[in-house]
Amino acid sequence: MRAVVAAAAAALVAGCASQSVTLLNNEGGGQGAVAVLDPETGRELGQVTTADTEASLGRGSVEAKALRKDRKPWFGDLVARVPYAPETYVLYFYEGTTDITAESESVLAALREALKPDSEVQITGHTDTVGDAALNDRLSVERAQQIRTLLAASGLPTDGWKVTGRGERELLVATGDGVDEQANRRVEVVIRY
Amino acid sequence: MRRAWVAGLLMAAMLSTPTVALAEIGRIKTVVGAASVVRGKAATPATPGLQLQVSDVLQTGKDGRIGVTFVDNSRFSIGPNSRVSLTQFEFDDTTHRGKSLTTVDRGSLGVVSGQIAKENKDAMRVRTPTSLLAARGTRFVVKVP
Repeated sequence: MRAVVAAAAAALVAGCASQSVTLLNNEGGGQGAVAVLDPETGRELGQVTTADTEASLGRGSVEAKALRKDRKPWFGDLVARVPYAPETYVLYFYEGTTDITAESESVLAALREALKPDSEVQITGHTDTVGDAALNDRLSVERAQQIRTLLAASGLPTDGWKVTGRGERELLVATGDGVDEQANRRVEVVIRY
Repeated sequence: MRRAWVAGLLMAAMLSTPTVALAEIGRIKTVVGAASVVRGKAATPATPGLQLQVSDVLQTGKDGRIGVTFVDNSRFSIGPNSRVSLTQFEFDDTTHRGKSLTTVDRGSLGVVSGQIAKENKDAMRVRTPTSLLAARGTRFVVKVP
């Protein structure tokens, strides 16, 4: 009986000791950090701030150790299978219209290339601050719908796409009211592969 | 007239409720081997394109793997022999305010954080049986043997 308890305790200790977190470089270079918090109080016990270092979890303190260079890391396959980063395409419009600018035609062409029948797509329309808020809500939705229509013309199934407008709530370039600003008259298309 | 108005309200309530309950927080992108999603008491095979909700539990067998992309653009890779619960997920895609809690009961999880971690300090959290982690804008892997 005592042996069973001891074995269970040993297994528990071993299990605890081998839970770990490993920080990696960000995809675009550089790195962030991972904080280890006390699960009861939320108090910060420490953080891992160097890429390719690993900290064991379940101890009172946090001590990150460099990964061994002579061993293949256990997480290679895991990291390789993180889904692709979502991509955002931005198209711009002439003032007060749902007509995309001449420069945005190439973005539309790139979108047609990138989209696949099973792509997860979110289309969000925006306006500048010319005109009142209600009108801009409507115009932003119409811009988003116009982009869907243009993309649907190339035969893509668009039923599952999310198409919304945010009016003048989310300005790319902050301006006062009633300001004609090309950068704010836009539709953002996010593709999550 | 008044009754019609009440009925209208009721209908609006009935129409709007499912939208809230079925809010999509992310989507399965890739599946390899044995993998399932447990929602309530029902387990369904994990398939690419499946929309995920808060409280869903993702499980993999010894050859199973799942890739997920969330609506805040954060991404998960779940390794074999894993059990990962989407305990909490709130995200406002206008303000980018939100928070999430993912519970790793066992297995392995690769994380690339997204807008939630970017805009809200320590709002993207991962819990293991012994610990609580907070992503500070980053890529990391967690192992729970």
